[in-house]
Amino acid sequence: MVGARSGAAGALVSLLLAGCASPVQVAPASLVPLSAPAADFVVDADVPIRLSTGYTRTLPAQSHWRAVGSLPQGLVYQPVNTVFAVEGRQVHEAYLVLQGKALQGFYLPGEGNFSPLAPPLTLPTTQGGKR
Amino acid sequence: MRRNVFLKAGLAAAALVLVSGCATGIKHEQMASGMPSLKAGEGRIYFFRSSSMVGAAVQPEIRLNGQVVGTSKPGGFFYLDRPAGNYVAAASTETEKSVSFTLQPGETKYIRSSVSFGLVVGRVVLEPETPEKAKAELGTLSYTGAPIAAR
Repeated sequence: MVGARSGAAGALVSLLLAGCASPVQVAPASLVPLSAPAADFVVDADVPIRLSTGYTRTLPAQSHWRAVGSLPQGLVYQPVNTVFAVEGRQVHEAYLVLQGKALQGFYLPGEGNFSPLAPPLTLPTTQGGKR
Repeated sequence: MRRNVFLKAGLAAAALVLVSGCATGIKHEQMASGMPSLKAGEGRIYFFRSSSMVGAAVQPEIRLNGQVVGTSKPGGFFYLDRPAGNYVAAASTETEKSVSFTLQPGETKYIRSSVSFGLVVGRVVLEPETPEKAKAELGTLSYTGAPIAAR
């Protein structure tokens, strides 16, 4: 009886949590155009990214990313052959922000915001040509 | 015996709900060639939802930057041409889920709506989809947007 009650309570809590996901943390950001050509890159293998909201998003293997600007946190890369979004309470189209190969967070182009990733994550990438 | 009658009646009612809940317009593959081309400075936004019995009765309105532009229906799609810029699309059930994205000139964006389970009713999640996956599904989906003027 107690087991059934606690199971039901657990299920209710899970449902409540799913309905009340935390929002994606953001800060205003101004994308600065590239001052010099920057190389594209390709992700070598699937990279699951655990977000602070509890959701996981995966960068697909062989996804191709092109530098489109910079932020104080790093270079901003837009997907070329895929789409990418981060999710919390809401969903946000997202570009990657990297310093070297370390993913620092995401630029949300539909809002002009930056969302940090903690801790940064080193990506397995192969560099492509410069634009 | 009586139980069988109830079961059959229940199944028939469920089938009726499912059939009436699905989109039934012209198929994308039948209208694709007649779609207008994009005007300069505009992009196209597709909203689509797979044919699925899961949560078929959940059919919220879809709003784009606060304006109602259509309905999320299983097996349905519609599209809008809009000036390049930033957009927020939202669908409300027991809670509101939105997706923010940017639309560039000449770009076609595909926004998938799908049902996930909530506390009382399902909630509809909107998220960007790749052109490849979207096009693979669009062919069999039915148009649920505003009537298109003959050209």
